[in-house]
Amino acid sequence: MWKVYKYTLLDLARNRFALGYALLLLLVSVGLFMLESDNTKALISLTQVVLALVPLLALIFTIIYFYNQYEFTVLLAVQPLRRQSITRAQFLAIGTALLVSFLFGVGFPVVAYAPSPIGWTLLLTGAALTLVFCALGMFIAVGQRDRAKAVGIGLATWVFMVLVYDSLLLWLMFSFSDRPIEPVIVPLAALNPIDLSRILVMLKVDLAALLGYTGAVYQKFFGGAGGMLVSFVALLLWMLLPAWGAVRTFARKDL
Amino acid sequence: MDRIAFEGLGKRYHDQWALRGVNARFVEGEVVMVIGPNGSGKTTLIKCLLGLVKATEGAIQVNGALVGNDPLYRAAIGYMPQYAEFPRELTVDQLLRMMNDIRDARSGSTDDRLIKLLGVDALLDKRIITLSGGMRQKVSAVLAFRYRPDILVLDEPTAGLDPVSATKLLDAVVQAKRNGATVLITSHIMEEVQRLGDRVAYLQDGRLRFALPPETITEVTGEPSLALALPKYLAQLPPAHVESL
Amino acid sequence: MLRAALLVLLATCTSVASARVCSVWPGSGTIKQALANTCDTIIIHTGTYREGTITIERPVVLLGQGWPVIDGGGVGEVVVVSAPHVTLQGLVVRGTMVSDMNDNAGIKCISVTDIRIIGNRVESCFFGIYLSSVTHALVADNRVIGDPMADENRRANGIHLWKCSHVEVLRNTAMHHRDGIYLEFVTDSHVGNDTTAYNARYGLHFMFSHRDSYTRNLFHDNGAGVAVMFTREVTMTDNRFEHNRGASSYGLLLKEINDAHIERNMFVDNTVGILLDGCNRANVTDNRFQANGWAVKLFANSTAAVFERNGFSGNTFDMTTNGDLVLTTLKGNYWDRYRGYDLDRDGRGDVPHRPLSVFALVTERMPYAMVLSRSLMVNLLDQGERLVPTLTPAMLQDTGPLMHPPDRSGEQHARRSVEQYGERTLVPSALVAAIMVLHTWWSFTDRPILRSTGPHG
Repeated sequence: MWKVYKYTLLDLARNRFALGYALLLLLVSVGLFMLESDNTKALISLTQVVLALVPLLALIFTIIYFYNQYEFTVLLAVQPLRRQSITRAQFLAIGTALLVSFLFGVGFPVVAYAPSPIGWTLLLTGAALTLVFCALGMFIAVGQRDRAKAVGIGLATWVFMVLVYDSLLLWLMFSFSDRPIEPVIVPLAALNPIDLSRILVMLKVDLAALLGYTGAVYQKFFGGAGGMLVSFVALLLWMLLPAWGAVRTFARKDL
Repeated sequence: MDRIAFEGLGKRYHDQWALRGVNARFVEGEVVMVIGPNGSGKTTLIKCLLGLVKATEGAIQVNGALVGNDPLYRAAIGYMPQYAEFPRELTVDQLLRMMNDIRDARSGSTDDRLIKLLGVDALLDKRIITLSGGMRQKVSAVLAFRYRPDILVLDEPTAGLDPVSATKLLDAVVQAKRNGATVLITSHIMEEVQRLGDRVAYLQDGRLRFALPPETITEVTGEPSLALALPKYLAQLPPAHVESL
Repeated sequence: MLRAALLVLLATCTSVASARVCSVWPGSGTIKQALANTCDTIIIHTGTYREGTITIERPVVLLGQGWPVIDGGGVGEVVVVSAPHVTLQGLVVRGTMVSDMNDNAGIKCISVTDIRIIGNRVESCFFGIYLSSVTHALVADNRVIGDPMADENRRANGIHLWKCSHVEVLRNTAMHHRDGIYLEFVTDSHVGNDTTAYNARYGLHFMFSHRDSYTRNLFHDNGAGVAVMFTREVTMTDNRFEHNRGASSYGLLLKEINDAHIERNMFVDNTVGILLDGCNRANVTDNRFQANGWAVKLFANSTAAVFERNGFSGNTFDMTTNGDLVLTTLKGNYWDRYRGYDLDRDGRGDVPHRPLSVFALVTERMPYAMVLSRSLMVNLLDQGERLVPTLTPAMLQDTGPLMHPPDRSGEQHARRSVEQYGERTLVPSALVAAIMVLHTWWSFTDRPILRSTGPHG
């Protein structure tokens, strides 16, 4: 497995897109920090960019890269290697490349300009989102024969998670505003990895408001070590379940 | 001992059987030419053997071991696909070294004769992306023979090659056979089939119609060339006849 | 401090000129004995004096030297002043009894005039300094520190004024009480340069206290911030309201307040900066609202409030209201969320700003909607509403919003607000991303694959 990981990573290191992705993130981050004198405010803007951009690019890149590598993957599959370890190695390699790009593009500027709790939270959740959407990308790509269809499904997934899901939540709140829906809403929001990441950052940014009348629910859910653990486990599951699904699907797939 | 044994092998895609009831045994030192019309199941058969496609029913044994989840049996197989694709940014040299690494081959244990023979040594420093299709086929051939496999699976090996290289490749097949390898080759070129094949395995509609020495077919039909003998032989077969060997 | 020093000097001079000074040491006489004498100034030296409740019934100056401790022993009050012209200075007062029946205080003055309570330490008392029906008093430079471990119902107010007038409460520190400074029916008084913090309820709390002014005070980390109720003509200037966070916590809660002047205050990191509930003619000018949950909550029962030259930045919500008809004037404030432009370069935006976002209204109705804060969907919702206002009150708008924070110097003017750039970079970066995605896509579909090359290629 580690040999496949090594060679896939070496190939990714020469990939122009991975480099471009890192530079784009760097440009956005440094740009925001330069234009805005208040680093906390810049961080908030950066959070919004990261929460939208990182999932999209991680997802699409993983899907496209998987199809680019398909024939090579077949070549590997006829070697004395387990299918499972091939997929695992590819997931880890793409994840590593995206993670390195993210830490280079966002990590450096955050450490340089705003090494604050908000900054650390942003880096942690951004890194988690990178792996989550890399895993989702693998899962989508492995399950589809057609590249264009896979990219389409990827885009739809992204739009759903970044926009449609929140709209559904809001609709739910309006529809059931006369019922005690509050205990349901927060866990529901936490089911979406993008929402969960956003909430984790927001807990640091909007603390004053969150400690208002909604404070109790939030504090209960996320406040203590238990909440952080739940969030961490949730993000971990979002990484592991699609990755596991991808490994399983690929192991049974006819190439 | 049988090198390869197909036992009631069947593969169904959705509601269509691509292979059904294939029984065959191939021994060492044997070159089997797998022929048949397009869509007859040749590629599916090869893919089943390589583990690229999971059989729906039946079993395959390689060197006496069942083909299942253990990938190690593939160490005994050298495979040259119809169209080869490699990581584009690597040079040929890096590719060869990478495959050595992946197959855990110690230096010196590999068979590097084809590198010179096919002129791949001139390409070593070139990146894969700059190679033509034929050049890639040569690299692919080198990789198939390199680890001295017991079983060689060559899918239309000469289709993308120039005539000189094709001849050299087929010579290498004969060499391998002499060294005891079992070779499965799909081909549409009847001269090749007749000249090389110890047996001809004919697939039609997913069924193995027969696996006979080419001489048997020419003798039965009285035609000296296999290209002419084959249609005659097929015409006298009963329609649902399934040959098992 | 200067004033305190002058008073000391004055007290000393008068005592030298016309009056007798007597001293008390531990073990040599008691304070009560000294009070029974006729000396005008009693100097109390270092030591602990346990004399139960000490009642002062004649004009006198009690002057502590080296922080003498007067310990009431927990039987009731500690020092009770029931005569005019009394000065208490340099004393450490302890040992009140916690009671549901009596307002036991460290220092209590009842129905007297011309009182000076200066530079004392009132420690772990039930009530700290308690003035009832007192006129012309000075309460300055005291440290009134309650018991931080005590339950809220076993705490009372730090500095408590009831039915007083012409009182000055200056440079005191009141912590760990129920209310830091409490005023009821107190008129024509001044509260300045005080610090109240970590009080269980309000840092400053006053009711029915007209014509008072509050300047340069610091109120931070109090349970519910500062509450001001049922009062006319209040002036609050140059105060700081910080870190008052919690479910019913306000930097400044204004309830039934008429003709208030709220000027040059800082509101930082409060759950709610200012809440205006039933307030008329409030003038809110030159204040800064920073990093609050809600900078201003304006209930619709408030009329004719004027917000001018205030700076709003980094708040989760700048403004919310609970009604449709809002009779409030906003003019020339700075809003970091403002997206307009200034073509005539007069420093004011050419298009009005609507500080009330749809999302703020949504959370007003459904607080748990806060989970969606700062999501892309909410941003789009707010952007849409800004372009085509349909849900937010149309009247509530700042017609000449400032382009730059009012108190920032010129060199920073070139810099624009955060979120402006946040959203401006989101669009181009998304475009760049899209182009990159498409480019990679094309590049691999156009790539000459073996499949398409000839056999001898």
